[in-house]
Amino acid sequence: MSQYLAVGLTHYLVVAALLFGMGLFAVITRNHAVAVLLGVELMLNAANINLMAFSRFRASAGMAALQGQAFALIVIALAACEAVVGLAIILVLYRNMATVNPDEADELKW
Amino acid sequence: MAAEQWFANLSFYVVALVTLASALGVVLARQVIHAACLLLPTLAGIAALFALLGGHLLMAIQILVYVGAINVLIIFAVLLLHRQVDRQRRILAGTQHLFAGVTGAGAVTLALVVGALFSNLPQLVGGEQGRFGDDVVAGIGEMFLTKYLLAFELTGILLLVTMIGAIVLARKERDQ
Repeated sequence: MSQYLAVGLTHYLVVAALLFGMGLFAVITRNHAVAVLLGVELMLNAANINLMAFSRFRASAGMAALQGQAFALIVIALAACEAVVGLAIILVLYRNMATVNPDEADELKW
Repeated sequence: MAAEQWFANLSFYVVALVTLASALGVVLARQVIHAACLLLPTLAGIAALFALLGGHLLMAIQILVYVGAINVLIIFAVLLLHRQVDRQRRILAGTQHLFAGVTGAGAVTLALVVGALFSNLPQLVGGEQGRFGDDVVAGIGEMFLTKYLLAFELTGILLLVTMIGAIVLARKERDQ
């Protein structure tokens, strides 16, 4: 029993997988655009945990061990860009159509 | 199992529990403002996980960028999106206990982060400190200016384009 409780790579991967699943669930089910954005943020963070965990447990020592952290840094920068542009689009959507429900923003669909 | 190892494992489970519970709240909360506030302890918990993985720089950046900037921006946007300010204010007033819970969980998580920072927990959790060398920050900086220079510069350009794009998008249209 105690060898399963000792924290290793698997534990971090399970946490990240659960976070990713919750984020995907939010993206699919929520009918508020900001809530969808929150789901995307959860998924990006799950990916970051995976990067950090593999860098910690699987990388060889030295500079190679830092690559996961460098990638995670870039992912954080991209997530910031995504949040800013996403929120700006949501604000414009609300201003023009008076809705924040992604299902109702279907003017370009047909 | 040594006592230090036991404590390190316990701190992982506590942090993981706080993170996943508040993430579940983010997904299931009916009011978007509640979801946005519950994202705070989630992101702080992820920062604590980074610290447990030996990434102190990433932990600091996670708190600065995500908790300090992105999440605050999201909360501002949620409040801006609802013209009926009174309705929002009523929701906030009626759920003070929830905010007390959020604040408490966030404070516990942050305390764990600080504890992980100032103890030698990362070494205990698995990590020989020498694994990344003594200078993680210097190593990452050197990597960004040599091997990953292109990615680094492209990220900078992307940030500039994003800033301009957000300003253009969110600006009120002037009358023609």
